[in-house]
Amino acid sequence: MTTLALSLTINGATHEVVVPPHRTLLDVLRNELGLTGTKENCLEAECGVCTVLLDGVAVNACIVLAAQCRGREVTTIEGLAAGGELHPLQRAFIDRGAVQCGYCIPGVILAAKAYLDEVAAPSADEVREALAGNLCRCTGYQKIVEAILSVTETR
Amino acid sequence: MTPGTRIVGRSLPRMDAPGKVTGTALYAADFALPGMLHGKVLRSCEPHARIVRIDTARAAKVGGVRAVLTAADVPDVRYGGSVKDEEVFARDRVRFAGQPLAAVAATSPEGAAAALEAIEVVLEPLPAILDVAAALAPGAALVHEGWASYTALPILHRDGNVCNRARIVVGDVERGFAEADRIFEHRFTTPSVHQGYTEPRAAVAQWDSSGQVTVWSNTQLPFEIQTTLSEILQIPPSRVRVIVPGIGGGFGGKLRVGVEHFAALLARRAGRAVKVMTTSEEELTAAYARQPAIVELKTGVTREGRLTAREGRLWFDTGAFAGSGPGVASVATLMLAGPYRIPNLLLEGRAVYTHKTNFGSFRAPSGPQANFAVESQMDIIADALGLDPLELRLRNIVHEGEEGPTGQVLAAVGLEECLRKVADAIDWKNRRPAPGRGKGIACGWWTTTGGSSGVYVKVNPDGTVALNTGAAEIGTAALTGAAQVLAEDLGVELADVNVVSADTLSTPFDFGAQGSRTAFAVGNACRAAAADLKRQILALAARQLGAEESALELRERAVVAADGTRVTLAELARISQATGGGLIAHGTFVAPPTPYDAKRVEGHVYPAFHSPSFHAHAVELSVDADTGEVTIHRYVVAQDVGFAMNPTYIEGQIEGGVAQGLGQALSEEIVYDEGRVLNANLTDYKMPTAVDVPRIESILVQHPSLVGPFGAKGVGEPPNIEPPAAVANAVASAIGVRISSLPITAEKIALALREQAP
Repeated sequence: MTTLALSLTINGATHEVVVPPHRTLLDVLRNELGLTGTKENCLEAECGVCTVLLDGVAVNACIVLAAQCRGREVTTIEGLAAGGELHPLQRAFIDRGAVQCGYCIPGVILAAKAYLDEVAAPSADEVREALAGNLCRCTGYQKIVEAILSVTETR
Repeated sequence: MTPGTRIVGRSLPRMDAPGKVTGTALYAADFALPGMLHGKVLRSCEPHARIVRIDTARAAKVGGVRAVLTAADVPDVRYGGSVKDEEVFARDRVRFAGQPLAAVAATSPEGAAAALEAIEVVLEPLPAILDVAAALAPGAALVHEGWASYTALPILHRDGNVCNRARIVVGDVERGFAEADRIFEHRFTTPSVHQGYTEPRAAVAQWDSSGQVTVWSNTQLPFEIQTTLSEILQIPPSRVRVIVPGIGGGFGGKLRVGVEHFAALLARRAGRAVKVMTTSEEELTAAYARQPAIVELKTGVTREGRLTAREGRLWFDTGAFAGSGPGVASVATLMLAGPYRIPNLLLEGRAVYTHKTNFGSFRAPSGPQANFAVESQMDIIADALGLDPLELRLRNIVHEGEEGPTGQVLAAVGLEECLRKVADAIDWKNRRPAPGRGKGIACGWWTTTGGSSGVYVKVNPDGTVALNTGAAEIGTAALTGAAQVLAEDLGVELADVNVVSADTLSTPFDFGAQGSRTAFAVGNACRAAAADLKRQILALAARQLGAEESALELRERAVVAADGTRVTLAELARISQATGGGLIAHGTFVAPPTPYDAKRVEGHVYPAFHSPSFHAHAVELSVDADTGEVTIHRYVVAQDVGFAMNPTYIEGQIEGGVAQGLGQALSEEIVYDEGRVLNANLTDYKMPTAVDVPRIESILVQHPSLVGPFGAKGVGEPPNIEPPAAVANAVASAIGVRISSLPITAEKIALALREQAP
């Protein structure tokens, strides 16, 4: 089988992997690099649990090929707490009760981060719009939205 | 916060949140072992067929394939909860589209997929029974010709395609109808809907050289899976160890064996660890989605709005196997009565075999289906009598000390308070604030499932506490609640408690994360363990301090004597470890039986509601007259939770339960055509997103239960019950159109409006 040698920058560190060209970023993150904070579910970009940041933009890792990430910066949930200090979004999700089963949460937090990096002071409706690609079945989204808005209020 | 408590009753952050927000929390779907194989399942594309041939010779030769299994390779056993009618692989006959025919394990997922393609299957299609009406038609073929030979709970009333008929009979409905001034007869239907957990069902199995299998799975019921696997694998339960690493949502869909048996059987054949994980297509075609239902209600009422009699029948499509059906049909009869005083009742619930997937339990199983019918009809009755729907309910609801439908005496009934509070909050007096805009209300009751729970609690040498429970944390924060109870009683902080959970080898038995019971039952087991530990701690401290036990107090991680001298929990734990084997207690709890009148029930698996909860929902919405599209403006819930152990996470249960309920009300349906699912993907199966769910206002009503820890009642399932009825009633209020089938899509509304137009 044809393979590609890829050099990937993930959470600031360089990783060398040799994989078949059709392997997705999600597959490489979870199964080659052990970064299972990026979750797996529908594999067709419907549920959003695999959301990661590619050059700061939220993407569904299940439909991005690993080969497309050469020379770009990938950020996963494991890379968000800089130096062991929780990101304000992570802190807010804990404090506001926004986490239940938690399986969607890494993707939701990264989608929220990408959005807040673009829009500093969104309304609740705008936050909901920004999260429309991330399904959550536990929370009804309410405390997630409240947690995200609380971060915009405090900065 | 309740006066006198330090830890319970406070909105403390859940203990497992840091791992979940940083991506370090491990879920079953993340679990992997070195050298693990990947298993996949071949499923039937025919709903009903004779198996002519399954040839796996080519599949076995595909590169990387290490095991291939069909019915011929596994023990010929039938298993199941109330009726043992299930089999691992279809043997001679296929009974639903999606039924497993074979499974393979290979070194890569691609290899496993290629092997499935290489299996040659020849099926001879047979006429399929596609719904309940066909299954019950005179002369209908039997889904299971051998039904009478199956092992089943003796209490069930089974007959051919009916795998249980549960019944409640109270008084004399004919006399009750004779006393009525008006009689209302209606029919309602609801489709199948999926739990929609974001983590697929997943299991990894590994056998050791002693013949023990360990299965890491995201089951809600590790001890039931242990028993079921023991039956399927034909080995003693002690040889099966089930561990739950973590669960990404369950809602009842992860109660029964799903992929664990495939992983265990493939691993046994391959001699290597095997992981099996479902796809979205498998979830929507071959999982335990909610049973479709047909409900017929005949209700008699006086001119003043007093309910005199109800005849209610509910038919569940249980699919090709009984599964949860017989039990859910039983619970349904209690839900058909509603939280109302009705002196004459004839209520029946049936679980009916068809050629579809084995439908199962979904958060408050039977609740939304029965409540949609009951509460829709209450509004129809109110309108016909010229009564306010709230007033009609207030004239008929149950109160403290009154009887439930099977004669149980109701205690801690907060229903009137719930109804009045949601009505106030939604400004009920102004029910139709604008054209096309209206408000709806619905109420109900639900059980706190009983069953037993055990915990081991020990004090660590640093004075912290380990809570060892057989219950799994499925996301509700129930184990944080139980830990709050423990910390409260032991005089420590929540951060001092470490939780170990859900390992059938090492943790004590637990009936499982189901039926709104975990915080309730594990919390009570914690209270029992704490009481025992406290006795041990005080006895040891009395010896250390040379004081009378009665003069000692356990608080702030220490035992303190009247004169202020103290010995810390840490010291006591170390002393006990050196001299007495350590401070450890086994706390247990089993819900006391709820007395009921056995003469009123037949075929009934669940004749009374333990520590019932009561709730009311109110919604304000508008309907677009052209498109039929519904926009929800406000949604208010008042729920009697007994005692709010952790208000934040109770609100979380309410908000999430309502969101799921709104999906069932407005958009979700697994669509079948000729026995095949048309929308087996998350594009076409429409679950609510953040833009579809309104802000939900929660009002926590607290009428303490006599049984629950600090008065708590089950809270997880109830919020999922009333949304469809509340929405249907608000739509009727807004535009005068009554939709009697779920989901209430824009298309149905628009069509109904067109028919209504002059």
